[in-house]
Amino acid sequence: MHKRVVITGIGGICGLGTNASAIWGEMRAGRSAIGPIVNSELHDLKVRVGCEIKALPEHGIDRKQLVSMDRFSLLATIAAREAAQQAGLMPHETNTFRMGTIVGVGVCGWEAIEESYRAILLEGKSRAGIFTVPKVMPGAAAGHVSMNLGLRGPVFGITSACSSSNHAIASAVDQIRLGRADVMVAGGTDAPLVWGILKGWEALRVLAPDTCRPFSADRQGLVLGEGAGMVVLETYEHAMARGAEILAEVAGAGLSGDASDIVAPTIEGPEAAMRFCLVDAGLNPEDIDYLNAHGTGTKANDQIETAAIKRVFGDYAHRLSISSTKSMHAHCLGASGALELIACVMAIREGIVPPTANFREADADCDLDITPNVARERKVRTAISNSFAFGGTNAVLAFKAV
Amino acid sequence: MADQLATDIISKIKAHAEPSGEEITTNTELTALGIHSLELTEIIFDLEEEYGIEIEMNTVDAWSNLKNVGDMVEAVRALIAKKA
Repeated sequence: MHKRVVITGIGGICGLGTNASAIWGEMRAGRSAIGPIVNSELHDLKVRVGCEIKALPEHGIDRKQLVSMDRFSLLATIAAREAAQQAGLMPHETNTFRMGTIVGVGVCGWEAIEESYRAILLEGKSRAGIFTVPKVMPGAAAGHVSMNLGLRGPVFGITSACSSSNHAIASAVDQIRLGRADVMVAGGTDAPLVWGILKGWEALRVLAPDTCRPFSADRQGLVLGEGAGMVVLETYEHAMARGAEILAEVAGAGLSGDASDIVAPTIEGPEAAMRFCLVDAGLNPEDIDYLNAHGTGTKANDQIETAAIKRVFGDYAHRLSISSTKSMHAHCLGASGALELIACVMAIREGIVPPTANFREADADCDLDITPNVARERKVRTAISNSFAFGGTNAVLAFKAV
Repeated sequence: MADQLATDIISKIKAHAEPSGEEITTNTELTALGIHSLELTEIIFDLEEEYGIEIEMNTVDAWSNLKNVGDMVEAVRALIAKKA
């Protein structure tokens, strides 16, 4: 029997809002924050839409740390501070080595890359910024969260493109199950609204010109967003002993690889990850009330994900409430799974399934109940969250009410 | 009385320090500035362009011997003199 791992704090920041409750408020209202990108220099880009954080909140991170951070690390730290505050986390000398952090990052600190290349190649500067290396490295976000909160247990970054968050949370659950830590602050982050990254995505021709319409017959692709989501995880006993409020339980995780193609997904990989997740959580398909889909809004993903869900859930698939909240916060790459965790946990807590926004037209290949446009009241005992990625790296998490 | 080089370096440090901080002099301890050590190193490197010199200095070496702003000024002065 596994140790029970529960969530006692949630933090989030993305285009929908600068804290988890604001994000959830927008999700349940079905409002999309996708729109014209105004804060980044777009230069010659054809892509003009994204889901950006218009203004950062007051975050209280000191200047000395701030100057050494790329935006993805800053977003992770802001979300981690919110989660730690909600959880009432107080690391001190006797427990700090029992608390760690794992942050999923799909890209890296591209702001610093962009700045250096432009300065050197276009402006004739002779050297890169002195913080370039520590800003760019994908493990920086975990380092910054640990420094900011004073966590001296297991600290590392995890990367698996668009499923980085879910892999990070699954790995954090493992640290606790294995007894390496009592508390883990885990989640994901990315800040990809930078010319160089957008230029690369533009070349792939998978970006929607207007907005993200998952499962809609007229969907045209994904939209990129920036953000971070972080949660405080601890054993059930640890949370009870310190009198922390338990928000939900991470019931299990399922991981698989497609071993097929670097960009084209398979049905079998996602199917296996969902099955493994149910087994790990000790749940039957009929126990699941809500499924937060990977739902990127590309033709291939939504169709294949629908097929995979049907294989796992059989006839019950049609009674499952499904939605893709990427329709509202866009695809925040390494942060997506952690933002979608907010949707799952709050759906459980409030009995409300957040919708798939921007839906216009039914697609025969995506014929499940994807909760179009309007949230639905429904008792949600358990929820699962799908994350699939380029590289065929699939990670599914299950959450349940405590 | 601060000379031109000291004034230059102090004004660069000021641009990176908290605006509400205390007056910075050559006696100010580097650790009291609230500035990341790498950022301080970068301030020195910014002088390369200004003085048309190339400062050969390893970050670790630089900071193991420097205690206050005055030490920083003197270290740079010595490097400039060597290049002249």
